[in-house]
Amino acid sequence: MGQKTGDMVQGTLEMLILKTLALEPMHGYGVALRIEQVSQEVFRVNPGSLLPALARMERAGHVKSEWRSTENNRRAKYYLLTAAGRKALKQETASWDRQAAAIARIMEA
Amino acid sequence: MGIFRNISTGLRALFGRTRVEREMDEELRGFIDASAGAKQRAGVSPEEAARAARIEMGSTKAVKHRIRSAGWETAAESLWLDLRYSVRMLLKSPGFTLVAILSLALGIGANTAIFSLMDVVMLRTLPVDDPQRLVLFGPGRMVGSTNGLPDGSWELFSYPFYRSFSQKNEVYSGVAAIDSIEFGPHGTLAGGSSELFRASLVSGNYFSVLGVNPGRGRMLNDSDDKTPGSGAVAVISYAWWQRHGSDPSTVGKSVRIGGMAYTIVGVAPAGFLGTTVGEMPDLWIPLAMEKEISPGWNGITDKWFESLNLIGRLKPGVTHAQAAANTNLLFKQILRSDYVGQSTSQKELAKIEHAQIDLTSAARGLSRLCVRFSLPLQILITIAGLVLLIACANLANLLLARGAARSREFALRMAIGATRSRIACQLLIESLVLALLGAIVGVALAWNASHVLLTMANDSSEVAAMNVSPDLRVLAFSFALALFTALLFGMTPAIRATRFDLTGSLKQGRGIAVPSSGISLARGLIVAQVALSLVLLAAASLFLHSLVNLTRADTGFDKQDVLVFGLDQSAAGTPLDARLLNLQQQIEDRVQAVLGVQAASFSMFTFNQGIWSDDVSVQGIPRTPDNSHDVLYNVIGNGFFSTMRLPLVAGRGFDTIDKADSPKVAVINETMAHIFFPDRSPIGHRFGMGDDPAHSGDIEIVGVVKNAKYMALAESPEAAAYFPYSQHLQYFGNFSVRYSGQAAQMIPAVRRAIAEVNPNISINETSTLAEQADASTATQRLIARLSESVQKLSETSQELMSEGDVDHGFC
Repeated sequence: MGQKTGDMVQGTLEMLILKTLALEPMHGYGVALRIEQVSQEVFRVNPGSLLPALARMERAGHVKSEWRSTENNRRAKYYLLTAAGRKALKQETASWDRQAAAIARIMEA
Repeated sequence: MGIFRNISTGLRALFGRTRVEREMDEELRGFIDASAGAKQRAGVSPEEAARAARIEMGSTKAVKHRIRSAGWETAAESLWLDLRYSVRMLLKSPGFTLVAILSLALGIGANTAIFSLMDVVMLRTLPVDDPQRLVLFGPGRMVGSTNGLPDGSWELFSYPFYRSFSQKNEVYSGVAAIDSIEFGPHGTLAGGSSELFRASLVSGNYFSVLGVNPGRGRMLNDSDDKTPGSGAVAVISYAWWQRHGSDPSTVGKSVRIGGMAYTIVGVAPAGFLGTTVGEMPDLWIPLAMEKEISPGWNGITDKWFESLNLIGRLKPGVTHAQAAANTNLLFKQILRSDYVGQSTSQKELAKIEHAQIDLTSAARGLSRLCVRFSLPLQILITIAGLVLLIACANLANLLLARGAARSREFALRMAIGATRSRIACQLLIESLVLALLGAIVGVALAWNASHVLLTMANDSSEVAAMNVSPDLRVLAFSFALALFTALLFGMTPAIRATRFDLTGSLKQGRGIAVPSSGISLARGLIVAQVALSLVLLAAASLFLHSLVNLTRADTGFDKQDVLVFGLDQSAAGTPLDARLLNLQQQIEDRVQAVLGVQAASFSMFTFNQGIWSDDVSVQGIPRTPDNSHDVLYNVIGNGFFSTMRLPLVAGRGFDTIDKADSPKVAVINETMAHIFFPDRSPIGHRFGMGDDPAHSGDIEIVGVVKNAKYMALAESPEAAAYFPYSQHLQYFGNFSVRYSGQAAQMIPAVRRAIAEVNPNISINETSTLAEQADASTATQRLIARLSESVQKLSETSQELMSEGDVDHGFC
């Protein structure tokens, strides 16, 4: 069960998922792939963390899911951002920016 | 908005289990396929790609579990599983389970029973409108009447005082008066057969001040209570109405008591039992009818006849402190203007200066029982608490041993992925199941036990009349107690059970792996158990010892072979003059003539029935602090001393020569003789009631009698004096008969003899003097017996436990 989330900062996974889904609805693997590519393979998102995170976010009402067919004609569960999710993304981005700036200031001091 | 979706998704997950499960599998498979596909495209062989994708995913079971735990339903489900598992594990060792439940049931049951008694006696508020705004004048301990200016705190008031106070007061929206005595006249409903009524005399505004709405008809009002003798109406209690068939036409009928017909104007609501805890009146009658109900009572016009309890409802916004200040101010004004007038002596002024009304809360009504039982009940609940603690310690110890024996089971469960907290949680649930089952059995026991408690404490009918069935508050108490005990005995064993070396335990097989700290914990528990048991044992023997001392106390009178009849003499309709005297002598003579009767006498009191006390001034002896205390008085018939077997020490007893118009005489007891005449004979000396020396020559001492107990077996000897009833005319409620032979045959014979003289005199109750003496120690006996039985109970449960231990070896 060794699940290494890369060295992802605690609690940022959901923010990254929100950001990723903000572009377009995706299925689980799509999200994982997108995060990996955009981060230039710094973050490798493990399904053991990703799928439970998506389930949590669905419960919280930040995303909703529906079954659609994929580009190669298979059924997959697609996740869509809800209005609440959009709002959450905005908040988390703002607070992340603040934190990152603060950390940067400390490291440069 | 999320909440509803969350709940509905949760419910779907719980009940549409297979579909959710299938979708999860599909999503996981899709993920792995997509991942494998991507790897293949990157040049990895198909087998390698599939393998790598599966490794990335890890255990699909674990992932699915984590997805599921996003929702609340997983927690609910695991709780349910744990519960089922716990019950299964408990059923696997029925001996242990039974013992645990029984010992908890005894502990929780004892606490519940005593708490339900406390609830009734001390905690329940009156079922009236906003009870917190009701205040009682004085502590509400006294029953009966006082006269004169009591020094210090007042608690009984006269009707004229009540009238002028309630007119002039500014802090109460209403003040109601209740006769402190519950009357027990005989009467008939609409020409039916004669029955005993418990009647409470109240002011017309009683129900409106309390805010009690009629169950049927109307309640009393001010116009019912305007002119003495003119308010012949009654409100009946719901319970009485029910006993008489819940007949809607009862309202409008009349109850005939002592020549008066009282029209029933309404039925009180079901929950309303009156304002005195333990008393449940059948009738409420306006105070204006006091003289009609009880011919001896002249309270309506006599401002010195103080027999009423007053309850006021605070005006909105008035604080307790304001009310107290205002009440006392007005109280003293009325005392000065109406009571003492112009010729005020220095002493009277001082008394008024000291006089005060202590306001107490009337939210729970008048609880004389509370005054008497609050300490005993607190002691009892402490003892019961100790028993429960012992049971907990016992059980914790057993669970500890059980946990050690089950270590392989726990190790196995942890090896296949159960977390430590999950196992501890499941063990706690086991404890909780035990505690709850114990509580259920305990409450069932308590349901009966509180009635048994009452019978044990039963020194008067008032207690028996109480409703002690556990209510919601009591059930909540027991439930909270069960939760608390479960935590108390289950917590440590649960945590301890999961702290072990996993592989060691697995290898050891069925071996027992108790860490050394577990042993010291177990020892600690045993020490605590023994210590608590010792405390219990000591308490029980202490209470028993003091009880034995009490029952051995010399009463002075001979309590064996004396019957005491409680009767209502006023029902004979004889006026308060020589004719009454004649009737009383006739009854005494007729009963004396009954075969087996040795002596018979009326008396104002027999043992432990009440007190009439007053100051005394002895002719020729100046008052000193040493000799100025109250003397206890009693009014008796000529045969009283021989009925009680109280021997005369000097002089003579009363005789037919002591007539209404002959010189006033008294017999005093040894203590009074000793206080005033330490070195000479008191015979022929004179004294008077009250502290006025002008009256000190009123009464001649003709005899000295041995000391006897008056109110309590534990009391120290007090000065007392007896007067012949020929010189103190009054209606009596007591008739004592000394007999030889069988009490069962005497009772009807005496009844017959009295009925022959006057068939209208009704006998309400019959007891023996020995019963009266025993009843006076009922509280002590209750504590002694209970602490003893509770201690036995704890022993039993410990024995059960140790047997359970043996049984536990097989589970």
